[in-house]
Amino acid sequence: MGLVAGKKLFSVMALCAMIGLLLLPIAVSLPSLALGADAPEEVKKDGEAKVEKGRDVYYKTEGIVVGAPAPKTVDGPRDYPRYNFESRVLLWFANQQHLYYGSFVLAVPIFCMVIEFMGVVTKDKAMAKRYDQLAYDFIKISLTAYSLTAVLGGILIFTFLTLYPAFFGYLSSIFRPVMHIYALMFVAESGTLYIYYYGWDKMKDGFLKWIHLSMSVILNVIGTLLMFLANSWIGFMMSPAGVDEQGRYLGNIWHVIHTALWNPLNVHRILGNMAFGGGVVAAYAAYKFLASKTDEDRAHYDWMGYIAMALGVAFLIPLPFAGYWLMREVYAYRQQMGITLMGGLLAWLFIIQATMIGILFLSTNYYLWQALGRMRGAEKYQRYIKYLVFVLCCGFLVFITPHTIVMTPAELKAMGGQQHPVLGNYGVMSAKNGGINVIITTTILSFVWYMRGNKVSTVSWAKFGNIFMGCFFGLAYVNIIGLAIYGYYIPANVRVGLSVPQVATTLSCLFFMFALNSVMMKGAKQMGAIEWGKISARSQYALIMLATAFTWMMGLMGYIRSSVRLFWHVNEIMRDNSPWAYTHTVGFAANMISFNVLFFWISILFVFWLGSLGIKKAPVEAKAGVPGGAPQPAGGH
Amino acid sequence: MGQTIVYVIVSLVVCLAYFTAVDHFLMDSQGLDFWYLLRK
Repeated sequence: MGLVAGKKLFSVMALCAMIGLLLLPIAVSLPSLALGADAPEEVKKDGEAKVEKGRDVYYKTEGIVVGAPAPKTVDGPRDYPRYNFESRVLLWFANQQHLYYGSFVLAVPIFCMVIEFMGVVTKDKAMAKRYDQLAYDFIKISLTAYSLTAVLGGILIFTFLTLYPAFFGYLSSIFRPVMHIYALMFVAESGTLYIYYYGWDKMKDGFLKWIHLSMSVILNVIGTLLMFLANSWIGFMMSPAGVDEQGRYLGNIWHVIHTALWNPLNVHRILGNMAFGGGVVAAYAAYKFLASKTDEDRAHYDWMGYIAMALGVAFLIPLPFAGYWLMREVYAYRQQMGITLMGGLLAWLFIIQATMIGILFLSTNYYLWQALGRMRGAEKYQRYIKYLVFVLCCGFLVFITPHTIVMTPAELKAMGGQQHPVLGNYGVMSAKNGGINVIITTTILSFVWYMRGNKVSTVSWAKFGNIFMGCFFGLAYVNIIGLAIYGYYIPANVRVGLSVPQVATTLSCLFFMFALNSVMMKGAKQMGAIEWGKISARSQYALIMLATAFTWMMGLMGYIRSSVRLFWHVNEIMRDNSPWAYTHTVGFAANMISFNVLFFWISILFVFWLGSLGIKKAPVEAKAGVPGGAPQPAGGH
Repeated sequence: MGQTIVYVIVSLVVCLAYFTAVDHFLMDSQGLDFWYLLRK
C-alpha cells in the first residue's frame, strides 16, 4: 500500500514537474519581454529627441524603434562565406532533413496519445492491452528519431551561422525575446518524452495510467508550441510584421510572431505532420509485415499499418482545405505572391503537387480496396470498385491538367494556342476544385465501405439508412461537379466563393456519413472476422507508396513556400544578394527533392533498425486470435 | 417496391434541400450571390 501511494505521489510530482517545465520558458521570458518594453524608457530619459518612431509594415501601428535595420548584404566572404559548393543547396538539405525528422517526432506522440487514450477508455481488457502495446511501439520508433532530430537541428544552426551569418544574425536579433524560449521548450520536450517513455511500465494501471496519459498531453502541448515558434520564423520571412520598412524591430514581439501567414501555416503544418507521421509509421509496419516470418507478426503489423494509415488519412483529408486557406491568405497578403505561386514562375510545381496529392489518394483507396479482401462478406463491394476507379481517374486527370503547356512554336501552331481546345478548359481552378473534391469524396466512400465491409446492419430502419446514404453521396457528387461547371458561367469574383460550398459538401459526407454509418453499424451482424495478416503484399507496397509520395510532396511544398520569396531573405525587407538568389529550374528542384527523400528514407531505415535492436520478442501464441479482434502484439516492452 | 420509392423520394428531397441550403448560405456568408446566373 505504501509502495503504491509512493508511486502515485512520485507520478503526480513528475506530472507537476512537466507542467513546470512547460511554464518555465514563459516565466524566464518575462524579464526579456520587459527589457524590450523598458528599452525605450531608457532612451526617453536621454530626451525625447532621441526617440525614433517607426511604422509597422503590416499592422500599420507606430512603435519605438529598438532594433537595427536589416543589413544590406553584399556578395563576399563577410556576408556569404562559402565552401566550393552552392550554399543554398547545403542549407536546403540541412533544413529539409531537420523538418522531416521534426515532423515525424512531433506527429508520432500525438498518435501515441490518441491510441493510449483509446486503450484506457476501451472496456475490452485484451483490446486495451493491444492498444497500449501499439502506442508503446509508436513512441519507441520516435525516440531514436528524436535524438537525430536534435542533431540535425544543431547541424542546421551551424549551417546558418557558417554560410548565412548576416541573415541569421538579423533573424535572431528580431526573435531574440523568444529564442531562449525555443531552446527551453526543447529541453522541456526532451525531459517529458524520456519520463513518458521510461515511465510506461511503472504507470500502467488505474490512476497512474491517467497520470501517464496526462503526460502525453503535456508532451504534445510542448511539441506543438515548439512548432508554432518555428513557424513564426518562416512566417516572418514570408510576410514580415513588427518591423518598419527598414526592418527595424519595433518592440512588439507578438506582432513579429503573429504575422499574416502564421496561423494558416500552423494549421497546415499540424495536419501535414500528422499525415506524414502516419505515412511513415504505416510504411514501417508494411516493411515489418513483408519481412515477417510468422502469422502472428503479420497480423500485428497488418493491424499497425491499418491504424497508422487511417490516422494519417484522417489528417490528409482536411489538408487540401488547410492548403487552400493558406493560399487564400497568401493572396490576401500579397496578390503578386499568390500569382507567382499558382499562376506564374512556380505554377508548374503545383501541377506536380496535384499529381502527388492524386497519388496519395489513389494509394489510400487502393489499400482500402485490398483491405476489403481480409473480411468475409466484403465481396459484395468488389464489383463496384471499378466505378470508383473510373471516378477517381476522372477527378485525378482534371486535377492535374495544366493551364498552359510548354511547347515548341510548331506544337503551339498545331494546337491553335497555349491552351488545348478541349483539355485546356480543365486547367482552371473551377474544374480543379471539383476534381479534388470528387477524389476526397470517393476516398470517404471507400472508407465507409471498409467500415461496413463484414457487417450487416440490424437496425429497423437499415433500408432507409442505406438508401439515404446512397442519395447523399450521389447528390454530393452532383453538387460538387455542378458547382465546378457553374463556375464557368459566372464572373471570377463570384466563382472564387464556390469553393466553400464544395468543401462543405465533401466535409458533410465525411462527418454525416461516418456518423450515420456508425449508428447503423451499432450491434450489426458480423459476416465473419477481420482476418488480420490475410492481406495481399501489394497493399503493403501501397502503404510504402503513400509514405514516399508524402515525403516527396512535403519536400516539394517546402521548396515552393520558400521559393516564393524569390530574391528576398525576408520579403521586401532584407534582400538576398548571394549568387544563388535565383529560382532553380523545375528539374533541378525535383532532383534535389528526390535526393532529400532518398536520404531521409535511408536514414530512417537505419533508425528503425536501431529501434529493432532493443525489441524483446514475446512468446508466439499458438492459439488463433479472437474473431474480429485485433491481433496480439508481436513485441513486448 | 412502393416503400423503396418513398424512401428514395424522401432521401432525394432531404439531400437536395440540404445541399441547396449549403450552397446558398455559404455563398451568402461570403457576401456573394449563389443565384447570380438566374438573377442576371
